[in-house]
Amino acid sequence: MISLQQLLALLVIGFFIYRLFKQRNKKQVGGNEFVLWLSFWIVSALAILFLKKLDYLAASLGFSASGINILFYGAILILFYFIFKLRLRIAKLDRDLTDLTREVTLLKK
Amino acid sequence: MKISCVIPAYNESKNIIKVIDKVLPLVDEIIIIDDCSLDNTYELAKTMNVVALRHPINRGQGAALQTGDEYALSHGADIIVHFDGDDQFKAEEIKTLITPIINGEADAVFGSRFLGSANFPYIKRAIIMPLARLVNRFFGIKLSDPQSGFRALNRQTLEKIKIENRGMAHCSEILYKTYKTQARIVEVPITVTYHEFGQSFGGGFKIIKDLIIHNFIK
Repeated sequence: MISLQQLLALLVIGFFIYRLFKQRNKKQVGGNEFVLWLSFWIVSALAILFLKKLDYLAASLGFSASGINILFYGAILILFYFIFKLRLRIAKLDRDLTDLTREVTLLKK
Repeated sequence: MKISCVIPAYNESKNIIKVIDKVLPLVDEIIIIDDCSLDNTYELAKTMNVVALRHPINRGQGAALQTGDEYALSHGADIIVHFDGDDQFKAEEIKTLITPIINGEADAVFGSRFLGSANFPYIKRAIIMPLARLVNRFFGIKLSDPQSGFRALNRQTLEKIKIENRGMAHCSEILYKTYKTQARIVEVPITVTYHEFGQSFGGGFKIIKDLIIHNFIK
């Protein structure tokens, strides 16, 4: 039996999966990105469906926190990773922009 | 032997003519890179007997230096001097920097404010510089001035260096990359007159952050 909170969370995940497929149809996301996000949302949905099992898993791993807290910790870690990746991507674009600026400047001369 | 002086400039309309007048008799060519100034730095530079380049968008001092270096190398420079456009360095000390290279005693000469006389603001002398020196030690650099912008390099050395940090981290980057080329490095005393504070405390941390980030980019 799932709780109302779990149901709401599943609805939110369902909405994001629906949007992901829509973006895929409009070719707004690449193949790899689509698989990555779909896996992410499926794992999230499974984690919510088997929240009690997560409690056992957390306890067996020696964590005193409940399964839902472990999920939050994991989510924060993933967010940090994405922010770091994004920062690197921006830095790379920034470098490309500098190279382009230099080329335009030197071509004009 | 062709000596080119690369001078990046951003909003330096008050100083640029003065700096050009002082440097021009000492070198064969001056290359001014206006980094998309908001004032008329570029227009003023164009009226002088110098090569004036202008970035269409602001990219930072490191980026401007690299643009100037590429121009100098492609136009036959043998020695390239990096000089600031804010009139804080003494032009006559260019001779001190290039002499060891001309005499074949060095491939790169870095000016040091610690060997010379500089009226350092207290925070810069007591906190920022020791911290920057510590970071440089981490990269194996043992020079007395970790952030000097007054330097001269010969063609062979500069050809192996590409400045990738467009911000203030380029000073440490140039030091590090010069060390990696196995160039013969000499430090000479220089005089600096501070008109403004220059690098802030937060700016020092930004340099460290930029150096770390750029190590991760392919």
